[in-house]
Amino acid sequence: MLVLTRKLGESIAIDDHIKIRVVQIKGKQVRLGIEAPKDTKIHREEVYLAIQNQNQESASTSSDSTKAVAKLLKPQG
Amino acid sequence: MQIQTSRFGSVSIESDDVLTFPEGLLGFNELRQFVLLDDPTDEIFAWLQSCEEPNIAFPLLEPELFAPNYSVHLTKHDLEALNLDSNRGSRSFAIITIPQDPTQMTANLKAPIVINVAKRVARQCVLQDNQLAIREPIFTRLQQRVVQNPKSSIKSQALDWGVAVPLNKHTPEVEG
Repeated sequence: MLVLTRKLGESIAIDDHIKIRVVQIKGKQVRLGIEAPKDTKIHREEVYLAIQNQNQESASTSSDSTKAVAKLLKPQG
Repeated sequence: MQIQTSRFGSVSIESDDVLTFPEGLLGFNELRQFVLLDDPTDEIFAWLQSCEEPNIAFPLLEPELFAPNYSVHLTKHDLEALNLDSNRGSRSFAIITIPQDPTQMTANLKAPIVINVAKRVARQCVLQDNQLAIREPIFTRLQQRVVQNPKSSIKSQALDWGVAVPLNKHTPEVEG
């Protein structure tokens, strides 16, 4: 991993179109400002981890539990 | 060709039925070949079955069934990865999680499975819209749909859209 040291207000450029600036440092928190083309996806890493977890859980679904859902949803009578 | 599945036994499919995920799914990066299966005994879901891992399969449902205003905004990068010019020609599905209590079931609206129907290329697209939930509760909404319109089906339309393989069609007759 490339590690760079930056001061408050300084930034790094990734490719020609992405800029990440340190906008605030407060205790253990760093606020980053990101300038990127509209089409660039920017997420906190937790989003990807949460999606991975959801995928893992879903992948072990049994076909009995999907049928149980159908049974519960069937209109009565 | 034959694929082995832990839920449906051995399933024979055509090579055209295979959906290729060039980047895999999140958490399953090594799995690239899937097939969408329609189980006629399942009244709701379609199954995204791995061709490589028999026990990996995801129940899917189209978001239209529980989120009528949902729309998938694909980035240029998504479209390129899917070999598409625009959203047209694609179908989107949400991955469903069903916990012990099925009424707590949820759908992932943040990262749908998008399929290029003609080219059989697919991708789990993480959408930028921060309002979209990774675990959106859907049981009550499906229930409302059933109550309001008991005659209309809540079965996945994947088969009608030509992206799924019916299980019974390929199941060999059992002797005796």
